[in-house]
Amino acid sequence: MNLKSERRGIHVDQSELLCKKGCGYYGNPAWQGFCSKCWREEYHKARQKQIQEDWELAERLQREEEEAYASSQSTQGAQSLTFSKFEEKKTNEKTRKVTTVKKFFTASSRAGAKKAAEEKTPKQGQLGRERNADNILRDLKEIFTPSWELSSPSEALAGKLKEIQEAKAPSPSIHRQASIETDRVSKEFIEFIRTYQKPGQDIYKQCKLFLDTMSHKRDLSIEEQSECAQDFYQNVADRLQTRWKVPPEKVEKAMDEVEKYIMTRQYKYVFCPETTDDEKKDLAVQKRIRALHWVTPQMLCVPVSEEIPEVSDMVVKAITDIIEMDSKRVPRDKLACITKCSKHIFNAIKITKNEPASADDFLPTLIYIVLKGNPPRLQSNIQYITRFCNPSRLMTGEDGYYFTNLCCAVAFIEKLDAQSLNLSQEDFDRFMTGQTSPKKQESDSFSPDVCLGVKQMCKSLDLLSQLNERQERIVSEAKKLEKDLIDWTDGITKEVEDIVEKYPLEIKPKSQALAAIDSENVENDKLPPPLQPQVYAG
Amino acid sequence: MAQTVTLGTSPEGPRPSYMYKVVLLGSMSVGKSSLAYRYVKSDFRELLPTVGCSFFTQILNLEEATVKFEIWDTAGQEKYQSVCHLYYRDAHAALLVYDIANKQTFSRAKLWLEELEKKFLPDEIVIALVGNKTDLAAEREVTTEEGEDFARTKGLLFMETSAKSNHQVNDLFMAIVQELLRREKEKASKPSPHGKVTVDLRASSTSTGCCRS
Repeated sequence: MNLKSERRGIHVDQSELLCKKGCGYYGNPAWQGFCSKCWREEYHKARQKQIQEDWELAERLQREEEEAYASSQSTQGAQSLTFSKFEEKKTNEKTRKVTTVKKFFTASSRAGAKKAAEEKTPKQGQLGRERNADNILRDLKEIFTPSWELSSPSEALAGKLKEIQEAKAPSPSIHRQASIETDRVSKEFIEFIRTYQKPGQDIYKQCKLFLDTMSHKRDLSIEEQSECAQDFYQNVADRLQTRWKVPPEKVEKAMDEVEKYIMTRQYKYVFCPETTDDEKKDLAVQKRIRALHWVTPQMLCVPVSEEIPEVSDMVVKAITDIIEMDSKRVPRDKLACITKCSKHIFNAIKITKNEPASADDFLPTLIYIVLKGNPPRLQSNIQYITRFCNPSRLMTGEDGYYFTNLCCAVAFIEKLDAQSLNLSQEDFDRFMTGQTSPKKQESDSFSPDVCLGVKQMCKSLDLLSQLNERQERIVSEAKKLEKDLIDWTDGITKEVEDIVEKYPLEIKPKSQALAAIDSENVENDKLPPPLQPQVYAG
Repeated sequence: MAQTVTLGTSPEGPRPSYMYKVVLLGSMSVGKSSLAYRYVKSDFRELLPTVGCSFFTQILNLEEATVKFEIWDTAGQEKYQSVCHLYYRDAHAALLVYDIANKQTFSRAKLWLEELEKKFLPDEIVIALVGNKTDLAAEREVTTEEGEDFARTKGLLFMETSAKSNHQVNDLFMAIVQELLRREKEKASKPSPHGKVTVDLRASSTSTGCCRS
């Protein structure tokens, strides 16, 4: 896009279009004038450097913080009240490390890459190019953000640093991003509410009022906040129905929009709040699921056969959906993810069994999907939906049904024991402690983390070796046949020769010359003389 | 007993609307899904539905009310029993389904009842004992009397059905509706002790919410 406008406006020399590193390929302004390959190298280098710097900063800040902590402890007696608060905050900081570690890296890497980009383009001086690159960078950072090992020991450090940063100066990029979405939702909401005319105005006023009230109630326990939200839903729905006489279907639609609007704004305050142990539970569930990595579909009696490509496709889709749930902010959107996931599961079962699935089939499969997908922040999401979803959606309807199933699945996973997998207690313990894996006992199975391609390849190799064997067999049999044929002809020849030898062809010499046909007629003489024509005078 | 008014009273008529959640409980393959499927689609499984059958809705336009049934199928395997209480939260009716040709499923139904009795007061939920698969009468292991007697002592509705041959399936659900509506009337005539859970339009319109304070 940018390139085009440049072509139209200013003359661009051919050399400018080539990669700045001079590798001979064409560069792209989106990659700072590098070709894709060189750009990746440069970007990676800059990022590594930035990460290193960030670590150093994190270490320094942590030292400082610990010193501050120590000094505050010494003056504890004087200001016990403030200290207890401080301590509380500190434990919160510790527990929040996992959610924040990712934010930390996305924010810092962006800054780093940007810095690197600026260094690399000092003489370019093309503002348009730079701005465009900046945008692309923002996208890139999302793509390249590595998925850090959650159990990494350094993440506590990083999390802490982030907390400090946030406390001192709120990171602009995160807030900007969040506010972009909030603005978009607000705009949509206002547009939607316009179609409701007067009742719409009323709804809007109510929402504003509610958000205002909630901003003063942040100190309340999450249950109380949840109750406020539920009361609010109930109130707005009732007002629409009784005061404005809005038909039920339209009320429902309006309520969905109201939920979307207020929950987009409330999300950051009420999702996995620090006042609860949601996060601890998240980690517990996550750990539990990881410990159960060895569970096979057969153990759960899952009626889905992933051998069928169509089915394994559905399974992958279902897993994607359930993982996607975490990325949504509105409870109803989260519910929609669960429903989508469930539909895919039903399809998978239907294709495998060739008959529609019942709940007897569905729940085990959902459990299997959850085990396989290990969706992030599962408990937080469930809690958040339970607390802040419009109750009419949650308790009834298809979404509510599938949500209940998910809750059952999670509850089951938490309680799961040897008996529920039809295993002996010893086997279960051995699998849980990782001493053995059920997969390894079977010769033709693979560990669960082997990717599909490798599995396919191994299968193909297997098949090939089988074919090879068959081929060899065929060749050897063909040789045998050939030999048989030769033996056979030889045998026949020999037999014929034997016979010929045994009964040599003797041609008897002619005993006498061939006489006239009647030459041997000895009795010729006895025959009367042949009749002679006689002439009778007459 | 909780009832939710979702459809609202239409302006033309005072006919009330009710939404009832019905859960299907019972061992694996006693025909829970088939029963619901037969009722909703008046069709047996041989004609396959598009998606899975574990959640159904059915709207009944009766003389006295519009009733929307929401039927939740549950997993019957024994190992899920410990988590199944999540399913019947806020249910208005429960069907305890057993297979008349399988004695074990009947004893499981009794266990389900015990579970339900732990969670609900008798007047909070309508429970029906359902002996399914009467088409397999030749292999019957649970007699009709046995089922009837048990239902009577526990105050349950009782019916023997066959989802396959569509025997009494509709009657079963009608009996449940009638019982639910009867309780509804009973409750209207005397002030409900469970006022909190009753969502009544007139009552809630005057309630005060936190956001108004």
